Amino acid sequence: MKTTHIPKLDDFLGGGIPEGSSILFSANPGVECEAFGYQTLQSRLEDGDQGFIFTNVAEPSDITYEFDKFGWGLEDSVDEGNAFFVDGSSYFIGAPVSGKYYVKDYSEVEEVVIKAIGDVPNGVGVINNLSTLIDYQGDEETVRIINKWNQVAKELGTILIYIFTQWDYEKGLIHKIEEAMDCVVNLSTIEERVIIGQGFMVTGASWTKPSSSMVLFNILRPGGVKIFIPKLLVTGPYNAGKSSFVKQIAPDSVSVDRMALGQVPTTIAMDIGHVEHKGFIADVFGTPGQERFDLILDVLSKEAVGAFILVDSTAPKTFARAKEMMKRCKAEAIPKVIVANKQDLPDALSTDEIRKVMNTDQSIPIVPVSLLNNEGIDEAMDALLEILYK
Amino acid sequence: MSRLESGIPGFDEIFSSVSDFDLTGFPGNTSTLIIGPPKVGKSIFCYQFAYHGLSIDEPCLYITADEGMKQLQQNMIDFNWFLQSAMDKEMLYVIDSISSLSGASIETTNTYNLSKINDPTDLMVKVGLGTRFVFKKSEEFRSVFDSLTTPFAFNPEPMVVRFLKTYIRRLKEAGATIIFTCTEGIVSENTEKILKSIANNVIMMDGDYITFRSIEGPIGTAKYHITDKGIIVDKGEVL
Amino acid sequence: MIVRIASGIPGFDDFTSSDDDLGLDLGGIPENTATLIYGPQGVGKSIFAYAFAYHGLTQDEPCLYLTTDLEMGDLYQKMASIGLKLDEYSENEMFYVVDAALSDSGSEMEDSDLYQSTSVKNPTDILVKVSRGARMISNKGPRFRSVIDSLTTVLESNNPVLIVRVLKTYILRVKEAGGTALITYTEGSSNSSTEILIKSMVDNIIKLDQGKITIEAMKGMGRKDIPYQITEKGIVLDNSE
Repeated sequence: MKTTHIPKLDDFLGGGIPEGSSILFSANPGVECEAFGYQTLQSRLEDGDQGFIFTNVAEPSDITYEFDKFGWGLEDSVDEGNAFFVDGSSYFIGAPVSGKYYVKDYSEVEEVVIKAIGDVPNGVGVINNLSTLIDYQGDEETVRIINKWNQVAKELGTILIYIFTQWDYEKGLIHKIEEAMDCVVNLSTIEERVIIGQGFMVTGASWTKPSSSMVLFNILRPGGVKIFIPKLLVTGPYNAGKSSFVKQIAPDSVSVDRMALGQVPTTIAMDIGHVEHKGFIADVFGTPGQERFDLILDVLSKEAVGAFILVDSTAPKTFARAKEMMKRCKAEAIPKVIVANKQDLPDALSTDEIRKVMNTDQSIPIVPVSLLNNEGIDEAMDALLEILYK
Repeated sequence: MSRLESGIPGFDEIFSSVSDFDLTGFPGNTSTLIIGPPKVGKSIFCYQFAYHGLSIDEPCLYITADEGMKQLQQNMIDFNWFLQSAMDKEMLYVIDSISSLSGASIETTNTYNLSKINDPTDLMVKVGLGTRFVFKKSEEFRSVFDSLTTPFAFNPEPMVVRFLKTYIRRLKEAGATIIFTCTEGIVSENTEKILKSIANNVIMMDGDYITFRSIEGPIGTAKYHITDKGIIVDKGEVL
Repeated sequence: MIVRIASGIPGFDDFTSSDDDLGLDLGGIPENTATLIYGPQGVGKSIFAYAFAYHGLTQDEPCLYLTTDLEMGDLYQKMASIGLKLDEYSENEMFYVVDAALSDSGSEMEDSDLYQSTSVKNPTDILVKVSRGARMISNKGPRFRSVIDSLTTVLESNNPVLIVRVLKTYILRVKEAGGTALITYTEGSSNSSTEILIKSMVDNIIKLDQGKITIEAMKGMGRKDIPYQITEKGIVLDNSE
């Protein structure tokens, strides 16, 4: 198993990519996808494998510069003979060709890449970008060529990584391309009139059953692919239902004893869980409600990106405490949703009434919930995720 | 449908002479292809359209593919259109997909980004970033793509068409009013037909006459002149 | 206000001065632009290029000259025959030649800072040498002239798709370096879409045909034309003395 060192991806792939496998990074137009190919190559080079990059969209010098920006020394690997370029780009824009192999005519591409694969047995090759190949070779030829490449690579144990932009090709073509691959990773946009985020998801792997979750990511320079697993805080006054809420949204959550950080060493219980909601992953931290544990609240809230504030809809006297916790939560800054629990009880205040009593801003949603009856929980999650990705 | 001020004197009024149509102004949240032979003023239309929008606080996402940012600014200065204040207010976001060929070493800024002319994937990423930025400024904004000519010179025709479709879809989704240009006669007849069918409206310029055909149906035409204040359109007639 | 540089063709600058120049003699070729000189064979396109290049030299403006039909020696002779004596300027290192007109036997001259040999069949090499030349020459002063005579020969020996890309890159680099480009081209020497593409890449289009010079497009100017003659002094417009 060869690891990609892309956070979470190796987990989703059951440990990594088996030798000789082909993997397609298939991106919505607008999502940065090259980094996935480049980062995997970099990891393999660091582990002692050899590799190559076939490029038809950028000149080798541009790619080396990109690697520099990520903080990876491709140039050194090339100098040491562990990595090389197949230049399928420079000649066609009138620039001098470089790299171990180059292409001056598109009919040469198939053979040249086969040669390159042969040079790196048990190594890795990156094809950037498959979409450009389709326009020059034609649909059928391209499918034939990638099948051939994958066959050759499998025999030699070479991993082939394809970067593909999903322009509006015919479904039949995309299907044939995906069929030719051992693994498909979908890179998609999260859109709300404009692109507000990007996420990756493994949609198929021939050697394992992949997780069906999407992980949000950003491409950092330097750094590469950085995933973003939101840490959500669940807090609120005593007896509002925090533990129940955490258990509902993160069934595998555990209560842990934790040393309170800070001046006063104390042992407290906290619920920690992992939630998957509509394909999104988050880590959940349920905090204790008593005042003497507010220190931990301070610490946790520094890392949280969103918070659920549980309140007991039948206990308006606790609302002040809730507001105080919101303040301590540095919750002025982080997005939050007030979860008005116990709506099943007859003396529960309505969300409008709660808003009035608490005097909270319109921008903070108050979601009516009954943990007892398992109602409103999805809506509460939706509400927080919606603000998070604005 | 909302109407915009195009900024080209006489243009918005082409249809106003016919009382049946309440069509003064440029149709908002649509895409318009501007096509014609070289050197008839298509780029000038773009400069004028963008500049006018900026002067009435409508931000603009400007993708330049024929000339770099420096040339763009130079050319606009010839008409006394100065971009500095709009750039300071971050109302103009420019994606320059051609300057990388010139060998110049260029610094990007918050509102000025680069891309490569033969890498539509990268250009689409930059368009996504720019769209988000401008959208946050105002949900009614303009977008200019000037022009498709150089992308067609550096990429296979189907690739440019695919890119264009995605670009228009994204920008319309975000609420923009889009104009994009192309030189007539450089691509196959079929591709040219496709371009015209992708756009909601088509403007044809031939050096003497400017003709506007909109989705709503009417076709209007008028004589136009390029002056040192930009394009001026004479009284038009509806066909 | 559009800044123009003197063309070196008698009568042309008057012809291209606009009314609001306030009599300041500001006609000529717009600075830092690319101009296409095109027309049928034998109308004087090369002569236009010679005059343009030479006049710059007389004004202390260096010139980068890509020659595709005449080897450097022949170029010097041809220009001398119409009174443009390059020898007088070879001392101050102002005339840079990229020689793509060489036969297969190559050049007798050695490559140097001022002379680079290349082949019309190797556009990538041409682009490299011309780009290098433009960078070097731009260090000499605030402006320079850059001539391609002719684009047709390069088109005929290569895939037009590639040449069009090379041309675009060339124009961008010359303009970036502060130069003013002039390109000669024989009408009909490539297919219609290539020709239109070329016209779309330049800023100014001047046609020479049937005894008439026509400004088809020029920054700050409308279309106009005027008769001209080719004399032993080169091109002369009908409005000059």
